[in-house]
Amino acid sequence: MTTHEQGQAKRSHADWLLFVVGFVLFSALGFWGTPALLYAEKPQPFQFSHKVHMEQVSEGCKSCHSFREDGSFTGIPSMDKCKECHSDSPQGDTPEEKIFVEQYLNKNKPVDWRVYAKQPPCVFFSHAAHTENAGLDCAKCHGDHGKSESLRPYQYNRLTGYSRDIWGWNILGLGGPPKRMKMDSCADCHRENGVRDACFVCHK
Amino acid sequence: MNWDRRAFVKFAVGAVVGLHASPLIPKLMDDSAIWTQNWNWVPTPEDGALAFANTVNPATGTGVKVRMVTGRLKGERLIRVEGNPEHPTSKGGVLPADASALENLYFDDFRVKTPLIFNKDTGMHEAVSWDKALEVVAGKLAELYKAGQAHTVAALGTEAKTLDGELLSRFMAALGSPNLSFNVSAADTLALAGWAMAGEENLGFDLAGANYVISFGTPLLEGFGAPVAVRKAFAGWRKDFKHTGTLVQVEPLASVTASQADQWLGCKPGTEAAVALGLCQVLIQEGLYDRAAAGAVGFEDGDRGPGFKTLLAKNYSPGQVSQISGVPVETLIGVAKAFAKEPKAVAVCGPGGGGEPGRLLDFMAVLALNALKGNFGKPGGVVVRQPLGLKPLGEAINHAGGKPRLDGLGSAKRPVGVADHLSLAKAALSGNPYKVNMALVAGGNPAYSAPQAGVVRDFLRSVPFLVAITPYLDETAVMAQVVLPCGTFLESWGDSLAPYGGAVAEYGLHRPLIKAYEQVKSQGDVILALAAKLGGDVAKALPFASAEAALKTRTAGLGDLAKLAQKSYHVADKPAYGSVSFKTPSGKLEFFSMNLHNLAVKLSGEGGMGKVLKSLGVSAEGTAALMPHYEPPAALAAAGHGRLLLAAVPSLRTPKGDQPLTPYMLKVLDGETLSNKDELVVEMNPQTAASLHLAEHDRVKVTSQAGSSDAIVHLFAGAAPGMVFMPVGLGRFAIANAYTMGRGGNYNQVAEATADPLSGLPVWSLTPVAVTKA
Repeated sequence: MTTHEQGQAKRSHADWLLFVVGFVLFSALGFWGTPALLYAEKPQPFQFSHKVHMEQVSEGCKSCHSFREDGSFTGIPSMDKCKECHSDSPQGDTPEEKIFVEQYLNKNKPVDWRVYAKQPPCVFFSHAAHTENAGLDCAKCHGDHGKSESLRPYQYNRLTGYSRDIWGWNILGLGGPPKRMKMDSCADCHRENGVRDACFVCHK
Repeated sequence: MNWDRRAFVKFAVGAVVGLHASPLIPKLMDDSAIWTQNWNWVPTPEDGALAFANTVNPATGTGVKVRMVTGRLKGERLIRVEGNPEHPTSKGGVLPADASALENLYFDDFRVKTPLIFNKDTGMHEAVSWDKALEVVAGKLAELYKAGQAHTVAALGTEAKTLDGELLSRFMAALGSPNLSFNVSAADTLALAGWAMAGEENLGFDLAGANYVISFGTPLLEGFGAPVAVRKAFAGWRKDFKHTGTLVQVEPLASVTASQADQWLGCKPGTEAAVALGLCQVLIQEGLYDRAAAGAVGFEDGDRGPGFKTLLAKNYSPGQVSQISGVPVETLIGVAKAFAKEPKAVAVCGPGGGGEPGRLLDFMAVLALNALKGNFGKPGGVVVRQPLGLKPLGEAINHAGGKPRLDGLGSAKRPVGVADHLSLAKAALSGNPYKVNMALVAGGNPAYSAPQAGVVRDFLRSVPFLVAITPYLDETAVMAQVVLPCGTFLESWGDSLAPYGGAVAEYGLHRPLIKAYEQVKSQGDVILALAAKLGGDVAKALPFASAEAALKTRTAGLGDLAKLAQKSYHVADKPAYGSVSFKTPSGKLEFFSMNLHNLAVKLSGEGGMGKVLKSLGVSAEGTAALMPHYEPPAALAAAGHGRLLLAAVPSLRTPKGDQPLTPYMLKVLDGETLSNKDELVVEMNPQTAASLHLAEHDRVKVTSQAGSSDAIVHLFAGAAPGMVFMPVGLGRFAIANAYTMGRGGNYNQVAEATADPLSGLPVWSLTPVAVTKA
């Protein structure tokens, strides 16, 4: 082997290391850099413990997130619903409850919660069809939200404006609800259960 | 390690591969797609509460539920039309015409959104206020009225017995013009046939209750009555893949109905009535008929001459009928025996494939077959629909000014029947005995949909002042001097009566579910506004504040209007079974029609009756002339010698009559209706095509005396020889509807109408045509 050839072999190994460095650096950018750049956070107006509330009520999630008489879903409870239990003076001693009572309850001002699971305006979503007719648990789509002691940060996509929960917290878009609520998750579940998955079943 | 070009390239390749191995690219692509959907100028439905409203589509008779979003900042929006499962006859089914109704509602370019006046200088229609438009129209009407020329105003409505039809009739009567015409349909012919033989104009067929049905040339599964209801009845005969009901189809084309029937009797064109009479004869010769029918007027020979029984034996033996129709003798005998054996069997007559009203004598032949079966008033037979009890809008108005009708209806020339657009147009074009100075088209689109549309279009073009009240800038509206916008059924008050052939009393009501366009009114409101503007007798004849108020008067017998409107229909629980009390002069069923006889006598005196009947197109003589008998259609004589017979191919995927073709319908049409997206496909028997040296996919021109259409030939062994079959509902040419303009040809343009013997109604089921290579 000539000196020149030896130099070539050494060079090649070293250069391939550079390939690996490039690969690792940029795939890391894709995996960790993307979410960091793409998602922004908005704070919730104040903290809230689902766990504490669940301990106080008898009918689980439906105690506050109820159906109206016509079968439509109320979603975030109205201030009237809160007033069924809360009065104008705090019941506990948390600063959060103080904020709620003083800034919202007493002023009868609805709380502008950031909704993690809000679907785009081009689709219908009927809670009644899923929880009442199909008998799904709330946790099937919302995870253990009902047991949480505090509200996690609300993250939204800077480009689309949608909640991060829609694409899912896994940047690869893996998993289904509760980790992800894209159209294909809905369609997969519909297909698995023999429910129609035609466009107009969900899309307006 | 040197950082040189090679090292850099390796690093860069690693970087690119690494980037692609990460989810960055698919993620950003997905987000970018969603980003484009959220641009602020892309319309997105706003959040709002969901609501449903019931209504009935008057064009199809389907009970529908409309899904809407309410509480939006931009106002409510209808988002979907779906079936109403609670509707007793349509039971949740819909047609393409129902499902795509919103395409018409929200088709901005095609909708008339404000009153328009044609500007001669610019050649365009210009938007004006309602006040101005009404002033112009009422001004013209007042001018003619004052000059004693009110009778020269013609009106072309859609359906005579609906609210809109009654308002228009009262308007014209009070104005003093007899020249009012409507769309004609099989309901008119069945009413006449029922009146002639049973003294009853309100007959229906209990299809849902029957288990043996013979359909004589009707498009039973492709647009008969309320098509969804008929389809539901058919579904009942095919429960769990078992044939619990038998359908026999008699017609010259292996149509959709024929292909789904248990038995297809491929007869020669126009001979369906002969087949019905042949079946009658088999029932009699085999002793399988209902003995009660023997007591009917004209069954046995009498003083007037030979009876129906003798007539059948003489002219309609299975052998003779086989000669006429081409249906084998043993088939005729087999079908007749099966028909007699089934306890719930009915014979059905109905519209032609192109919505033709059918021939009166054919309908009488089918009623005669039912009479011999003895199924009147029985489950699965011919039933009398109970009257709805609708109240009249006021006392009858009778000051037409003594002027005769242009089309001669009611005179010896045309003693029975109803007024139709074509007869009016033909008479008006001749200018005899007077010319039409102004025409009012209310709700319909006769320039496209009337039989021999070319003639009607020529007439409307010749009228000095044409007013169109319409939701769409369609083929008729573009010719009008003034266009007044009215709403679709989703945005206006109106009603619909029992669909053709329906067994139960039925009433449909539609109300405004949405105000999609600020200036659009109900058609009834437009007529009322015109009447109010005109004042005098016309305003007195129509003293209603609104169409809603007029409906309140009309439906007083059906309970609270608000409740009825919410429900949207009134349908009797079940057909009125039980013995039928015939309202004929004899009080019995009549094979020899005394009603027709008395009319002929009145017109002629006993001696000249034969002459009168001849002038009405009846070629049979003696008692046979006023009994169910077979008259070969006029078109048959003109066929042959290289000329083919044109017939229509109906489809539920194209609209009926005045309704616009929607973009959705174009999407669901197959290649055997439209080829290469916009070329009409006609079906021909391969032998017929070969005799004309035509092959599959050849371009041809189909020409009749009325008009012509280009088409592509499709060879089909299920088409009767000597015929050419053309789809209906296509060939639109209204520029405002860019989606449907120029797609295919218009059957109504090529079909040539002749006057039906006795009824005088235009019939255009068969047209002699030349098919030449284009």
